[in-house]
Amino acid sequence: MNQTVVSYLSQYEFYDVLLAAFGKNEGLLAFAIYLLGGVIIVGLCATIGGLGTFAERKISADIQQRLGPNRVGPYGILQFLADGVKMMTKEDVMPFTADKMLFYLAPMLALVGVFATLAVLPFSSGLMMADLNVGIFYLIAISSLVGVSVFLGGYASNSKWSMLGGMRGASQIISYEIPVTISILAVTLLAGGMSFGTIMSHQRGLPTNWFIFHNPFAFIAGFVYFIGALAETNRAPFDLPEAESELVSGYHTEYTGMRFGFFALAEYIEVFVVCGVGAALFLGGSNLPFDISFDIIPLQLLEVVIFMSKALALYYVVIWIRWTFPRLRVDQLMAICWKYLTPIAIFNLIGCAVWVVVFNGKSIAELIFGH
Amino acid sequence: MFAQFLFISSALLTLGGAVAVLVTKNIMHSCIYLLASLIGIAGLYATLGADFVAVTQIMVYVGGVVILMLFAVMLTGGKDFVSRAQNLLGLAPSMGNRWTFSVGILVALVFLATNIKLILNVSKSIPAKTFGNEFPSTVNQIGHLLVKEHVLAFELSSVLLLGALVGAAIIARPRKQ
Repeated sequence: MNQTVVSYLSQYEFYDVLLAAFGKNEGLLAFAIYLLGGVIIVGLCATIGGLGTFAERKISADIQQRLGPNRVGPYGILQFLADGVKMMTKEDVMPFTADKMLFYLAPMLALVGVFATLAVLPFSSGLMMADLNVGIFYLIAISSLVGVSVFLGGYASNSKWSMLGGMRGASQIISYEIPVTISILAVTLLAGGMSFGTIMSHQRGLPTNWFIFHNPFAFIAGFVYFIGALAETNRAPFDLPEAESELVSGYHTEYTGMRFGFFALAEYIEVFVVCGVGAALFLGGSNLPFDISFDIIPLQLLEVVIFMSKALALYYVVIWIRWTFPRLRVDQLMAICWKYLTPIAIFNLIGCAVWVVVFNGKSIAELIFGH
Repeated sequence: MFAQFLFISSALLTLGGAVAVLVTKNIMHSCIYLLASLIGIAGLYATLGADFVAVTQIMVYVGGVVILMLFAVMLTGGKDFVSRAQNLLGLAPSMGNRWTFSVGILVALVFLATNIKLILNVSKSIPAKTFGNEFPSTVNQIGHLLVKEHVLAFELSSVLLLGALVGAAIIARPRKQ
């Protein structure tokens, strides 16, 4: 059944000590572990989101031959904290004709949708919060809350820019969900399961075992996933919902202070999440590049480091793409999704299915080098 | 204890959302309350151990149906439909006359009777059909059932969806003058 961080930790001796300390109350101990794990992961990912804004400015500065933020802290690395303080102390303005309830609800829904995905993000083979049987499916489903929040933010502000941004955002997110989901389906087909544990256990060892190098169709599916994920998180060149030269700032034009901060934070964390999912599905996830027969906590921490470095490398690519490519037009955006990505994704799915049947699920490397 | 907490909170969310959908006068707000109610139903599925169904509920309703409803409401007017003349008890915005209300009540009664009949049957047959440890997870069970025992229903529903897709494409297509 479902593996969790609690069931992983229960194989160690210190779990029994902890259990005794909690008066043999397993439920209470599980609750404490989940609470602690949740606080750590949410804090970590919020920091990554904050540092994401800093990285975005610094990398864009590099690309444009500027210096970027360099006043607060060494290399300006504390800039995001200063920004956070600024946002929290700013005046909270709400437009007079705004729909009050929805206006307050939208930024929170965005954060809820993103934080809920962190529950299944596979930081390592043992230390992920919950390895659900429906893991990747759960992640796709719950992240659609972000789409609702983008739309609501646009509607509730009762301004034309916001409304256009919100409608663009919702239609874009719904459309690009289809090629992304079909690409993920190709991977679940190869792995034979939807849980991240199953998917990553099929990619153990050298990079030749990664699903992106499994067969030509999976290779294309990896790129389709990445392009679709860029569009789903509203990143350039697909940042039409917040296109600043056309729509001022899109769905969060009317948001100020920390409510705007929620939207921005949700976006940066979501980028990290889709990068992490891409790393787990196609780039081997947190697997060590060699086989080890025993399992200790420091090894798990090493796996966390590997997962993080893969995800953050993808994060760098996302930022790099943003500052390299010009923005698309709306009709081009929809044409790319429906006329190119979706047919390619369906072709990949069928190709992967045929590959699994014909070659008995073996990867290219296995076919060439024996096993 | 956790299962009870999950059940009570999802049941409250479902019922509270459903009541709020009826009571609120703003149609956009009622869409959002409907969202809460549907998430509560997903929680109820999760309490029953049907994780795949719960996630599908969120996927289909939150990701698809509610956003489409919001779109439809916005494109057809939204705020102007705040309230109409005939309010039952002065509570809910009403959209009909005596005739529609009586038909609605009749349909509700028939639906209620059918549901009670179904629920009574369920509570009588206590030993539910279990699959044992044959499959490692509910995903495998559902997949097995879909392509083995219920393959006809599966294929028919996919044909139905394909038909809907083609129909939508034909309606949305620009006509030659």
